[in-house]
Amino acid sequence: MAATNAPVQPTDWKAAAMQKRIRGRYRAEKRFKFYGLAAVVLSAGFLAFLLFTMVSNGLRGFTQSEIAVPIDFAASDLFLEPAQLEGEGADAALAAADIEGVVRDAAIAEYGEDGAALISNGAWLRVRDALAANPELLTSGETFWLQASTELDLGSRGDVGDRRSASETGAEMITVWDRLAEQDKVRRGFSWTFLTASDSSDPSLAGIWGALKGSLLTMFVTLLLAFPIGVLAAVYLEEYAPKNRWTDLIEVSINNLAAVPSIIFGLLGLAVFINVFQFPRSAAIVGGLTLALMTMPVIVIAGRNAIKSVPPSIRDAALGVGASPVQVLTHHVLPLSLPGILTGTIIGMSRALGETAPLLLIGMRAFVASPPEGLTDPATALPVQIFLWSDELDPGFIEKTSAAIIVLLLFLLAMNGLAIWLRNKYEQRW
Amino acid sequence: MTEETSHAHEVREEAVPETALKMTARDVDVYYGPKQAIDSVSIDIGMDNVTAFIGPSGCGKSTFLRTLNRMNDTIPIAKVTGRIELDGEDIYDSSMDVVQLRARVGMVFQKPNPFPKSIFENVAYGPRIHGLATGKAELEAIVEKSLKRAGLWDEVKDRLHDSGTALSGGQQQRLCIARAIAVDPEVILMDEPCSALDPIATAKIEELIHELRGRYAIVIVTHNMQQAARVSQRTAFFHLGTLVEYGETSEIFTNPKQERTKDYITGRYG
Repeated sequence: MAATNAPVQPTDWKAAAMQKRIRGRYRAEKRFKFYGLAAVVLSAGFLAFLLFTMVSNGLRGFTQSEIAVPIDFAASDLFLEPAQLEGEGADAALAAADIEGVVRDAAIAEYGEDGAALISNGAWLRVRDALAANPELLTSGETFWLQASTELDLGSRGDVGDRRSASETGAEMITVWDRLAEQDKVRRGFSWTFLTASDSSDPSLAGIWGALKGSLLTMFVTLLLAFPIGVLAAVYLEEYAPKNRWTDLIEVSINNLAAVPSIIFGLLGLAVFINVFQFPRSAAIVGGLTLALMTMPVIVIAGRNAIKSVPPSIRDAALGVGASPVQVLTHHVLPLSLPGILTGTIIGMSRALGETAPLLLIGMRAFVASPPEGLTDPATALPVQIFLWSDELDPGFIEKTSAAIIVLLLFLLAMNGLAIWLRNKYEQRW
Repeated sequence: MTEETSHAHEVREEAVPETALKMTARDVDVYYGPKQAIDSVSIDIGMDNVTAFIGPSGCGKSTFLRTLNRMNDTIPIAKVTGRIELDGEDIYDSSMDVVQLRARVGMVFQKPNPFPKSIFENVAYGPRIHGLATGKAELEAIVEKSLKRAGLWDEVKDRLHDSGTALSGGQQQRLCIARAIAVDPEVILMDEPCSALDPIATAKIEELIHELRGRYAIVIVTHNMQQAARVSQRTAFFHLGTLVEYGETSEIFTNPKQERTKDYITGRYG
């Protein structure tokens, strides 16, 4: 014990070495802070870049160039009387009449030889609808604002087009647009068509509604299946399952299932739901079932963590006043773990919403020109629609693709906002 | 499992408490997996007494307390053998409903654990799940009575619908006592109810225990020997999973019969 009795050298806090060490410590802290800040700035930059390109490209996708075409039905070759458009035979009469030809002739009459190239191929549909709504138009004339063709549309933004369209026509169209704009014969406005129509081979007629509705139906099926099954599985595994080798195996399987690439779920859906159960192809119900398989493990894992994080003291308290295990679960544990379960569910659903690969495999990549009426109707989904449009040759689809991406991102943003709102609303502190 | 011979156990040589018996335990063993936590404990708990369990950390006093209302059932690896009776009924018998048992033998925990609900809901929860009140007015009466008995009424009567977790630690613990009282138990088990509280809150709880005595049989586990001396009439000293000595509190503290008790009381270990 002699060593402890020896006088101890007091620590010299002012020594140079000590001061240097302290300075080094502060430097390290500053450096670390800087790295963190740099990481945040970098990711914020990427996000800003993404949003900027999407918005600058996509906003035009919500608008549509239109060109004024005066049509004098009375003087035209259209053999159609207003009386024919009343009552039973109206649709047949409209279908039989060559409205398309009349519109083309009217465009040529107004804008010369190339007039037909200025209006979109499907523009006559708007005239047909107007006639169906108001047959009296047939006795007189009317100036219609019709969708401009893709070439004129490109001209409207001073774009000569890419390699896919002849650059000569592109340059020409800019001057055409400028000339027509001076005469107030062309305009550019918000396009309800984009929000209300479904897929079309003509970009001026293509819309997002069919894909949006397909996505909504698919998500509905996914939520309806994945949420209750996922929560019940989480509750059973956390509260009732004995802790043995089997439950360990199940736990490992579920964790692995959450990490399985989504395309494999697509193959599973194809093999099980379409080949074995004979569900229709391209239908929202099959998409929903497949995505439910994918979302379920995420909900189970989130649910188990949420249930686990309920403090044992709350269970003790409830058991201590004589609550049965089910009452402890339904009165205390589930309400307290609800924010966590909901957050996990919405994260899983967001992932499912953005999923493309499994939907391609079960046939939801088909060209679907009308919105699905039910769960078994052919449907497509937003991300698949984006994929399909990005593959189109017509340059008019470029901005439609970006616009569809904006719709998808807004949808995702809304879902995540809901998750945050729910979490804050139900969050408990103890 | 019960053997009459167990009455010859050394700690029971002295007289049975003079008050009516509420709970009796005979040769109780508790195992956590292969580890034995309680070794052959036999004890009688009187109706009109506050019974204190004292002993060093890990001596099994809390474990034994939790066998008295079968809270150990929630631990899958825990196994209880022996016989524990409440008013002569074996509480581990298959005919005993554990939900009802826990209503009859209430519990207050070490850390105040009010539900993250309103003060009113905290107290009303027990009566509601057991169907003790037929209407809103009756439920309100039970809540008021329980909060009054727990000495909390005057402090919270104007804010019954505030969250129970917003109260101070001592108030939370009295709320937990009110919650236990609300289901009209016969026995209240308290597992170190003051260990998370400051001295003033502790004094209030001790005062409350005095007032509740006689109405409920109270068993309190405590680390604080002064507290045991202040609040209890009978004291049991546990060590290494066995009941070393059980008797009148005054006897235990002034004239312990066992050497180990004496060492613990005088602060040699613990």
